[in-house]
Amino acid sequence: MRFSLVAALAAVSGVLAKTVQYDMTIEWVDANPDNAYERKLIGVNGVWPPPVIECDIYDRVIVNVTNNLGEPTSIHFHGLYQNTTAYMDGPVHVTQCPIPDGSNFIYNFTVDQPGTYWYHSHYTAQYPDGFRAPFIVYDPDEPFADDYDVDTYLTVADYYHDSAPWLLKNKFLTLANPTGSEPIPDNGLLNETQDYKFLVEPNTTYKIRIINIGALVSQYIWFEGHEFDVVEVDGIYVEPYTTDRIYVTVAQRYTILLTTKNSTDTNYPFMTSFDTDMLDTIPDDLMWNVTGWLTYDEDGDFPDAAVIDEWVFLDDFELVPVEKETPYEPDTTITVSVSMNNLDDGVNYAFFNDITYVAPKVPTLYTVMSSGNQSTDATIYGSNTNAFVLEHNDVVEIVLNNADPGKHPFHLHGHVFQVIERSEASASDDDYIVYDSSNPGTVNEYPMRRDTVYIRPNGYFVIRFKADNPGVWFFHCHIEWHLEQGLALTLIEAPLEMQKWTIPEDHYAACKAGGYEYEGNAAGNTVDLTDLTGEPVQPVELPAGFTTKGVVAMVFSCIAAFVGMAFITWYGLSELKTTEHQVAEIMGEIPLDDESSGSK
Amino acid sequence: MANNVFDVSVFFIVFRETLEASIIISVLLAFLKQGVGRSSEDPLLYKRLVKHVWVGSAIGLFCCLVIGGAFIGTWYSLGRDIWGSAEDIYEGVFCLIATIIISIMGLAMLRLNKLKEKWRVKIAEALEERNHYGKGWFGRFSRKYAMAILPLITILREGVEAIVFVGGVSLSSPAKAFPLPVICGLAGGILIGYLMYKGGDFVKIQFFLIVATCFLYLVGAGLFSKAVWYLEFYKWVQLVGDGAAESGTGAGSYDIRKSVWHVNCCDPENDGGWMIFNALFGWQNSATYGSVISYNIYWIAVMVAVLLFLYKEKNGYYPGLKSWTLKRDAKKVAKRRAKMEARRAEAAAAAGEEYEETKTASV
Repeated sequence: MRFSLVAALAAVSGVLAKTVQYDMTIEWVDANPDNAYERKLIGVNGVWPPPVIECDIYDRVIVNVTNNLGEPTSIHFHGLYQNTTAYMDGPVHVTQCPIPDGSNFIYNFTVDQPGTYWYHSHYTAQYPDGFRAPFIVYDPDEPFADDYDVDTYLTVADYYHDSAPWLLKNKFLTLANPTGSEPIPDNGLLNETQDYKFLVEPNTTYKIRIINIGALVSQYIWFEGHEFDVVEVDGIYVEPYTTDRIYVTVAQRYTILLTTKNSTDTNYPFMTSFDTDMLDTIPDDLMWNVTGWLTYDEDGDFPDAAVIDEWVFLDDFELVPVEKETPYEPDTTITVSVSMNNLDDGVNYAFFNDITYVAPKVPTLYTVMSSGNQSTDATIYGSNTNAFVLEHNDVVEIVLNNADPGKHPFHLHGHVFQVIERSEASASDDDYIVYDSSNPGTVNEYPMRRDTVYIRPNGYFVIRFKADNPGVWFFHCHIEWHLEQGLALTLIEAPLEMQKWTIPEDHYAACKAGGYEYEGNAAGNTVDLTDLTGEPVQPVELPAGFTTKGVVAMVFSCIAAFVGMAFITWYGLSELKTTEHQVAEIMGEIPLDDESSGSK
Repeated sequence: MANNVFDVSVFFIVFRETLEASIIISVLLAFLKQGVGRSSEDPLLYKRLVKHVWVGSAIGLFCCLVIGGAFIGTWYSLGRDIWGSAEDIYEGVFCLIATIIISIMGLAMLRLNKLKEKWRVKIAEALEERNHYGKGWFGRFSRKYAMAILPLITILREGVEAIVFVGGVSLSSPAKAFPLPVICGLAGGILIGYLMYKGGDFVKIQFFLIVATCFLYLVGAGLFSKAVWYLEFYKWVQLVGDGAAESGTGAGSYDIRKSVWHVNCCDPENDGGWMIFNALFGWQNSATYGSVISYNIYWIAVMVAVLLFLYKEKNGYYPGLKSWTLKRDAKKVAKRRAKMEARRAEAAAAAGEEYEETKTASV
């Protein structure tokens, strides 16, 4: 990417890049956003929801974290490239150790990209408990700067009453859930609340940055009676696309320009509605449509939303970026297949090419820093991290074939990618549509770019990006439950370039404080990096058919039956001998006195 | 047992009860032949008494069929709707009841001669009793038609026993699984009884009975194993909910922690051939520790039972119960002796009277 050029331009144009600092103490806060259930959520500095991080483009952002949660944590700034600062990216066991309770940790990076982003915990099953908020980067040079009057944001989310780690352990990753049914949310939230009244003036254009900060469900979003223009997705400006409904998966962002009506007669409902296809069961009391109101008149009517017959919505594949690029030519291709299956512990896991992600002992980025020349050997990163080493400045193509009947939103850290192709869903669950490079599907002239894109059931997609941002980048499904099922892979991009950096001391201090290893290969072996003994691996496969145990049981049972039948035969044959003896006894004991019957 | 056309436990129960009933009748007829038929004085009396036996049997059988039909009919229309989510528990309990009933009556089949002798004794005693029925009209009626009443009551009793047992073992089968095994059981029982009457080749009959009993216990072992399996499956379904049903025979349809073997095919719930395997041997495509161990325990119990019975037959008492048995037998013998003495005294007294009566009649 053209970072250095941009920075130079910034310097030349005299933009004053400043530093913005947020001191965050992460702790539990009492809250009840849906007015139905009092619970503790993860807040910052005693307040929930956590603050919105705002900065201008080219600013330096410092987030000074003190962890008071009683459990480890970390923060990922979703969509930021972290150029030359990949160790600030946030996913635990990938780019850092978890921040232990009571520890301090500093995220310090520059933001050289405009647009709408968000930040959230990247520790196991933590962000659904409320640790999520927008991260907005203002850009005075945005292409539509003159087209709107108010700049605001709108978050949509699914919401659980129970704590996410509890759901993970007791309801989801357990042998009592062999089909891998995701926990069903209890409610939906608009801007972390319900019955949201969005006060608007007539005849005004609002720029609304819409962010799905949920854990599972994609949302259909529309504003009754109003059309709008989509102008930015995931930080990429696009040619304005007029529509009246968008489909936003978790982690995606859409920035829209919405012009309000002339009159203040009535208020208009706007909806965020769960994609209920993603829920295995729909409880009777689940309100999957969440209503807010474009409030022209606070004292006016608040009508109910109309019922929709069918879902018509913007297909983001059709968006055209403002900065047009033709499709890259790939230098290397990674082909992976998504599937879900049960392993020997009876739990349902998710796989990329039959490997389910298991976190290594040493965070992958620290393995890069401590492995010298061997850092280009993918095996040192572990057999269960699905690690791929990318050459600096190669064009990388990822072909993803979905052998699962679910819709998955996949996210790549550290980059946006061109969405080259995305197939339709397959008609049946037994029939997959697999990418065939000799028989390609539709490719747009200027492919859409973003950092989180969904795949259709049993279909495929093809994405391409340039590996010009050294770092260890996680690629995974952004449905929190699927990530915990292991639907992730690790890209190690230009490891030799990364070794030129210095990791801040407080990052290693967090490792030491938490008792985590931070040098060596995935097994923590610093002596022989190719020796992976002791690395965390996935459970073994379920036994198919008869194991030794089964054969022994069957043989033993058959023997028991035959011996039993032999005993029965013995009993039957022995009667021949004893009966006569007994009959004689009986006869002798009681004479059958026919004489006294009187019938003679 | 979820067998759709031929319920094996029903067959064995009906077979066994029919066998006992036909033995009783054959003993009765043998008595008449021996006792009454030998007398060339009264062939008409013999024929009349034989007719009594058959008429009594027929009436008894008819009553049984009526009662049986009504019972099974009501049992079915009432009993089948109450399952719901506890279906697996019901299945498990039914299997358990079936195996208990079958196991108890099984070994007795191998002592048919003993059965025959037991009935010879009982019938002799009953015939003796009829002299003491009393002077009322009921007493006279009973005496006159003793040869009809005895088989009637016997068949009624055996038949109702069979009906109750059948009801107990087969709530889990569809109604169409009934007629065939009932007919086969009746036919088999009648055949054996006939052969015994004719005094046929005892050895051949005994071999047939041994084979039948082996099968009976194979079924019983399978049922016991299934009872345990159903109860374990119930617990699994409670844990997992709908997921278990969705998973068919694949992962998730069974509890990996308790599994001894699991194959993704050959499921007796869905596959006809394997269903028969399941009915005869208790085969499951997904076996648990419980189902395998219970199968083996059953056979061990059978072996122990055989040893105990053989010991008793040789020595007259069960091991460890020698003094108790001897005491009880002494009591029994003393009772019988007392009865016999009383009868002899009565007979002596009555003989004078009777003797006078018959003399009067023939004059």
